[in-house]
Amino acid sequence: MRSFLRLLSAERLKLAKSRFRWLLPASPLLAAVVGLLSNPPAGAPPRVEFAVVLSGMSFLHAMLLLPILTGILASVVCRYEHAGGGWKLLLSMPVTRPQLYAAKYALIALHLAAVQALFGALAAAVFYVRGFEGPLPWDMLLQSAAGGWIASLPLAALQLGVSLAWSSFAAPLAVNVVFTLPNILIVNSADVGPYYPWAQPLLAMVPRDGETFGALGLPLESLTVTVLGSFIVFLAGGLLYFQRKDI
Amino acid sequence: MSEWIIQTKDLCKSYRGRLAVDHVNLNIARGEIYGFLGPNGAGKTTTIRMLLGLIKPTRGSVEIFGKSLKREKLHILRKIGSLVEYPSYYGHLTAVENLEAIRRILDVPKTRIAQVLETVGLTKDAKRPVKGFSLGMKQRLGIAAALLGEPEMLILDEPTNGLDPSGILEIRELIKAMPKQHGITVLVSSHLLSEVEQMASTVGIIRQGRMVFQDTIESLRRQSEGSISVAVSEPEEALLALLRMGFRGKLENGRIALERTDDQSVARIVKALVEQNHAVYRVEEKRKSLEELFLQIVGEGGGA
Repeated sequence: MRSFLRLLSAERLKLAKSRFRWLLPASPLLAAVVGLLSNPPAGAPPRVEFAVVLSGMSFLHAMLLLPILTGILASVVCRYEHAGGGWKLLLSMPVTRPQLYAAKYALIALHLAAVQALFGALAAAVFYVRGFEGPLPWDMLLQSAAGGWIASLPLAALQLGVSLAWSSFAAPLAVNVVFTLPNILIVNSADVGPYYPWAQPLLAMVPRDGETFGALGLPLESLTVTVLGSFIVFLAGGLLYFQRKDI
Repeated sequence: MSEWIIQTKDLCKSYRGRLAVDHVNLNIARGEIYGFLGPNGAGKTTTIRMLLGLIKPTRGSVEIFGKSLKREKLHILRKIGSLVEYPSYYGHLTAVENLEAIRRILDVPKTRIAQVLETVGLTKDAKRPVKGFSLGMKQRLGIAAALLGEPEMLILDEPTNGLDPSGILEIRELIKAMPKQHGITVLVSSHLLSEVEQMASTVGIIRQGRMVFQDTIESLRRQSEGSISVAVSEPEEALLALLRMGFRGKLENGRIALERTDDQSVARIVKALVEQNHAVYRVEEKRKSLEELFLQIVGEGGGA
């Protein structure tokens, strides 16, 4: 555990000075703009009104930008190793491959958590700025932000695996976009939506008491199975591959 | 066995059925500088990657510090510093930050960073981003990184590749100081004998995946010692006379070629030839350079 934490802090140092971190707040900020401009149906109770606003914020963020950001992060954490022959340097040090894999994965997950926390905070700000009545619906916000985080973890595992395998920076991103774009159609399908890993962040982020169509508003259980299943498959696949890879 | 720091037994690595490393038995003793030589593509880097556990051998075993690399990899790697092929660095970080990233993994005191920068002479440039470094400086930073964990063994793969003469000299002086000043055993690979012969005490020569020579540099020098070539008026008769006296030699292009001969023997040969009324036209020493010998070893058939 100690050596894992040391690795994590070394990884953090490499990323701390990277320009990529400026990409992180982009999507939540864009979502906040959407939240400020959207028009909730008049006359509904404030909680439902806010749910509609939150859905609007989630759409752009979780359908496209969050999955793509996950891929970018995975590419970024591997970038410096691919560019400078760093795999040899790292792996000829006293660290095991699963430790290194875990450190890279943890770094992606932590950054995604920060993005989702910012999203939650900005959604709360939208709630106050637009002057919704009543108390802030904490449960709804928390479920949306945390749900989006958890649902993006399997994608992070897959993208980390792909990024480890390909030394190119752009190729893993292309894979990511190719799988993310169909989201636009798939979230409308109640048949495919629940089983498509790339659609899960959006399905998890849209408030349960908002609108219901297509795959939206499905019971949490079906999401859990897809997210957990794909997480195990993608993580195990990436780890097995990395363990056997010739450096 | 005595103090072998690294010992490999019948180490093999095959790629698609072709043996890139073919039953290599490497023996490296404590405190020496071992020059690992061979042309490009002979299997040096593949062997080194196996020593560092970056790739798994197809067959054979690696023992380092008397322990099996397979079973005690982390323990062994903690005591090895390495630089494989080209230096690894994070260009957007400064020299100090690069070393700090490695220091956090190795868990050594922060003071080590200043020490290793001093050792490789980069103290002045410590705060500059590494992407602005020259290749020689990057190479020195790579060696600094390898030294950070106070290793007992240093593995350097082609550390002078691509450097200019002054850069080569700097790295060479740095490596030469390792056993003396820090008690570190060094394995240094190169495709040029001339680069290694001035610092290595032992050399191993690998050719098409096979070890074709492994001994001290003196032994290699002895093999390259010259022969004496004598031009006389009647070479056949003269050679017979010399063979009768117990010298070893043969006729080569109408001249007598005598193997490894000291000054006194040469004096006796000339005296004998003159006394037997042969006209001695020329007495020449023919030296094979180490480089020629190296090329000969490397160029020979696989059976050597």
